[in-house]
Amino acid sequence: MLRTTILAVCLVGTIQTAATAQPAPSPPIASLRIVAPAAPGGGWDQTARAMRQALLDVHLVDTVTVENVAGAAGTIGLARFVKGVRRDEPALLVTGLVMQGAIVANQAPVSLGRVTPIARLTGEYEVIVVPAASPLRSLADLVEAFRTNPASISWAGGSAGGTDQLFVGLLARSAGIAPARINYIAFSGGGEALGALLGNQVSAGIAGYGEFAPHIASGALRALAISSAARVNGTAIPTLVEQGYDVVLSNWRGVVGPSRATPELRTELGRLVARLHDSPSWRAALERFGWTDLYLPAEPFDAFLRQEESRIESIVLSLRSGTNIGPLAPGGGRLFPALIGAGLVLITAALAVEARRRRVARLPHNPSTASLSGVAWIALGALLTLSLLERVGFVAASTLLFALTARGFGSTRWIRNVAIGLAFALAVYLIFTRGLSLALPTGLLQDPL
Amino acid sequence: MTDTLASLADGLRAAATPAHLLWSIAGAALGTFVGVLPGIGPALTVSLLLPLTLTLEPASAFIMFGGIYYGAMYGGSTTTILLNTPGESASMMTAIDGHAMARQGRAAAALATAAIGSFVAGTIATLGLTFLAPALAATALLFGPAEFFALALLALAAITTLVGPSLLRGLASLFFGLALGLIGIDPLTGAARLSLGIPQLLDGVDVVLLVIGLFAVGETFYVAWTRTRGSETVMSLAGSRWMTREDWSRSWKPWLRGAAIGFPLGALPCGGAEIPTLLSYSLERRLATDRDRFGAGAIEGVAGPEAANNAAAAGVLAPLLALGLPTSATAAVLLAAFQQYGLQPGPLLFQTQPELLWTMIASLYIGNVMLLALNLPLVGLWARVLLLPKPLLFGGVMVLATVGAFSLSGSILDVAIVYIVGGVGCWMRLHGFPMAPAVLGLILGPLAEQQFRRALAIGEGSPLIFLERPLSAILLAAACVIVLIPRFRRTAETRDPS
Repeated sequence: MLRTTILAVCLVGTIQTAATAQPAPSPPIASLRIVAPAAPGGGWDQTARAMRQALLDVHLVDTVTVENVAGAAGTIGLARFVKGVRRDEPALLVTGLVMQGAIVANQAPVSLGRVTPIARLTGEYEVIVVPAASPLRSLADLVEAFRTNPASISWAGGSAGGTDQLFVGLLARSAGIAPARINYIAFSGGGEALGALLGNQVSAGIAGYGEFAPHIASGALRALAISSAARVNGTAIPTLVEQGYDVVLSNWRGVVGPSRATPELRTELGRLVARLHDSPSWRAALERFGWTDLYLPAEPFDAFLRQEESRIESIVLSLRSGTNIGPLAPGGGRLFPALIGAGLVLITAALAVEARRRRVARLPHNPSTASLSGVAWIALGALLTLSLLERVGFVAASTLLFALTARGFGSTRWIRNVAIGLAFALAVYLIFTRGLSLALPTGLLQDPL
Repeated sequence: MTDTLASLADGLRAAATPAHLLWSIAGAALGTFVGVLPGIGPALTVSLLLPLTLTLEPASAFIMFGGIYYGAMYGGSTTTILLNTPGESASMMTAIDGHAMARQGRAAAALATAAIGSFVAGTIATLGLTFLAPALAATALLFGPAEFFALALLALAAITTLVGPSLLRGLASLFFGLALGLIGIDPLTGAARLSLGIPQLLDGVDVVLLVIGLFAVGETFYVAWTRTRGSETVMSLAGSRWMTREDWSRSWKPWLRGAAIGFPLGALPCGGAEIPTLLSYSLERRLATDRDRFGAGAIEGVAGPEAANNAAAAGVLAPLLALGLPTSATAAVLLAAFQQYGLQPGPLLFQTQPELLWTMIASLYIGNVMLLALNLPLVGLWARVLLLPKPLLFGGVMVLATVGAFSLSGSILDVAIVYIVGGVGCWMRLHGFPMAPAVLGLILGPLAEQQFRRALAIGEGSPLIFLERPLSAILLAAACVIVLIPRFRRTAETRDPS
C-alpha cells in the first residue's frame, strides 16, 4: 500500500510541479486566489481550474490556488468572498447567470452589487429541442400548442430557477403567455433531461447548446431555436430573434474581485484577466470545453451586469408566482412532507408505547458498563477541531484530533500519538492539496510546503 | 457477432502492449487508492484524476482510464469491510455483513470475495456491454418518471427486508433519512423547505455526510463507548485467512446474480449504484435458507452487492456509449473525458470511430484484470490494518472523516454535521437501530418525490399514469409482493410450526 501511495503522490506531484517549475520574472501579482463557488467538477470549478492552468502556463502569476466553496447555487461562496477577502487582496470569484438567478430566488443576503466586476469570460447559448418523433416541426408549432393548452407541453430542463427555466420564462413572456402557466419539469444534471427527451417522455427540452449538440447532429433531437443574437457558426439553427421573439440569453460566466476593491487592484486584476484571455492556453481550454468566448472587460461587464440583473429579477419573480399553479398542484410540494411527518409521528408513538411496556429489544451492549470518559475525550477533540480547523489549519487541528481520539481509546502515550498523528495528518494534507488540488485550511503552515 | 468478436480482438491487441499494461496498473492503483478516501466517491475520483490522462495519447489514456474507473468503483469496499466506514453510499450494503466478517477474523475472505466478485461481475457486465449495449440502452429509454417512481418504491419496499430484528426500529431509521431528505430547496419549484434559514442547508444534507457520520464517526464513538478497561483485544486474524471451500460455494451464485441485477439497473437513467446493491443484498437474504446469518457475517451479503456495484459501473457505460446519455454523475464526467479524446459517444459511435471504441472497451477488460491482480495479493496485507492498535486506528478514522467532510464543499458546517450525525449513529447503535435504512431513505426519498411529481406533471395531474404505463405497473406490483410475501410466509409458519 505504501508503495501505491508513493506512486500516487509522485505521479500526481510530477505533473503539478512540471507546470510550475520554470522560473519567470516576478509579476505584479505573485499569488492569486480563485474561489469557485461550487463543488469540484462543475462548470464554475472547471472555469477556475482552466484559469489556473492558463495563468501558470504563461507565467502570469507564480502561484494560483483554487478554493471550492459550494452551496446554494454559488450564493454561499459569494457571501464568504465578500466577507473574507480584503479589499487589496488579489482574489477572484467565479460567477455567472445561475448565481444571479439564485440571488433573487433564494433572497440571498449578499448580491453581486457588493463585489467588483472584473471581466465576463465565456458563455453558452441555449437551444430548444423536441424529440425526433415529435409532431412539432417548428418553433411556431411549439408555441401554438403551448398557447392552446400550456399544461400539455412539458418542458424538460435543468434545476428550478436555473438558466433553462429562465429561458422558457423569457420565451413565454415574449409570446404573450403568462410564465406562471409553464409546465416546467426540472431535472437534475447528468443527462436526466436528455434521457427523458430521447425516450420521448416529454414534449420539449432546453439546455446549453453543447449538451445537446451531438444529439442534434445525429438526428435524435430536432433543434427549433437557439438563444444567440445571430446564428452560431456552423449550425443551421434559427435564432429566436429571427423567428420573431425578442429573446437573447447566454449562460455566461465571468470573474469578480473583492468587495470595494482598491483602484490599483482592480486595474491589476483586469490586466491579468485580459492577458489570460489572450493566452494560447486559454484558447485551448475554450476549445476543449466547448465554451463560447464572450469576453467583456470591466466597464462594459459592469453595465451588462446591471442590465441583466433587472431582467433576471423580473422573470424569476414572475416564474415564482406560478410554482403552485397548474398540474403540479395535486401532488405539490406538500404531499411528501406531510406523509413523512405523519410516519414519524406514528413511529415515535409506537416507540414510546414499546418503551412503556419495557419490551425493549435486546441491546447489543449494556449501557451501564459504558466508558463515558472515552467518548468525552473524542467529543473534546471534535469540538476543538470545529473551533480551530480554520484558525490553526488542517494539520495542527487533525494532529490534536488524532491524539485526543487515541486518548479516548485509553492510550496515554501522548508523545507517540502526537508524532504519529502529525505524520498522518501531514500525509493526508499533502495528498489532498498537492495530489488532488483540493484546498484545506493552511493555518499555521502559512508557507505551504 | 463474429464481427464484434473480431473487433474486440483487434481492440485487445491494440491495448495489450507492455506500456499500456503499465498504465492500466497505474490507473487501477490510483483509482483504488483515491476511491478508498472517505467522501471521495467515483465521480470525484474520476474527475480529479482525469487531468493525469490528458498528457497521454488517446489509446494509453483510455487504458489508464479503464483502470481508474473500475478502481474507483472498487476502492470503497476495503475500508467498509475493515473499519465499517464506507466512504460513499454504494459500498454501504457491504458494511452490514462485511464488517461482521472482519470482526470474526474473516476479513481476508470478505475482501477476497469482494475483489473476485467485482472481477467476475465486472467481466460479465463488460461482455454484456460488448454485445448488448445498443439494445439495453434502447430499453433503458422506456423508463420515464413514472417508472423511476415505481422503482424507488420497489427499493423502499426492499429496505423492509434488511431492517434486522425490529421492524419498528428499521422504519424509524428509514423515516429519519426520509425527513433529512426533505431539507433544502425543493428541486421542482426552487422553494426552500426546512432549511431553518441556514444558507448551507439550502442544498440539503449530502448523502456522503450522513454515510461518514453514521458509519465512520458513529462507529468510533460506539467502540469508544463500549470499550471496557483492560480488555484491549485486537481483532483476531485467526482461522481461515482465505476463502474456504464453503465460502466459494456460497459466493459464486451471488456474484452472478449481482451481475444480473447490477448491469441492467446501472444502465437506467437515474444514476447511482445504491439501488442495485440494495436489491442484490435484499435478494440474497431472501434466497438464503438460514436468514439469521445475515447481519452476522454472511458472505453472500458481501459477494452480491460488491458484484452488483461493479456490474452497475459497466451498465452505466451502455447508454453512455450507445446514446451519449450520461446516467450518473460519474458518467457525466466520463462523457466530458471521452469528448476530450475526440470520442463522441452516440448511436453513430460504432460506425464512425470503431478503433477508439474497441480500444476503450478492451481497456475495460484489462482494467478489470489489473484490479484483481492488484488487489488479491494485497488482501492479506489490508487485513493486517486491523492489527493496528485501536487508539491509532480510530484516530486515523476521525482524521479521514474530517477531511472527507470538509473537502466536500469547504464548509466547517459539514464537519459539524458529520460529528453530530456520528453522535446520533452511536446512540442508534446502542439502542439497536440499523444504520442503512437512514442512508437509503435520504437517497430514495427525494428520488421518489421528484419522480412522482414529474410523472404527475407529464400526466397533466392524473395519477393514473402510474398504472397506465405497463413497466410502472409491473414494478409497483413487485413492490407490493415484496411487502406482502413475508406476511404470508409468517402466517404459514405459525400455522405449521415445522
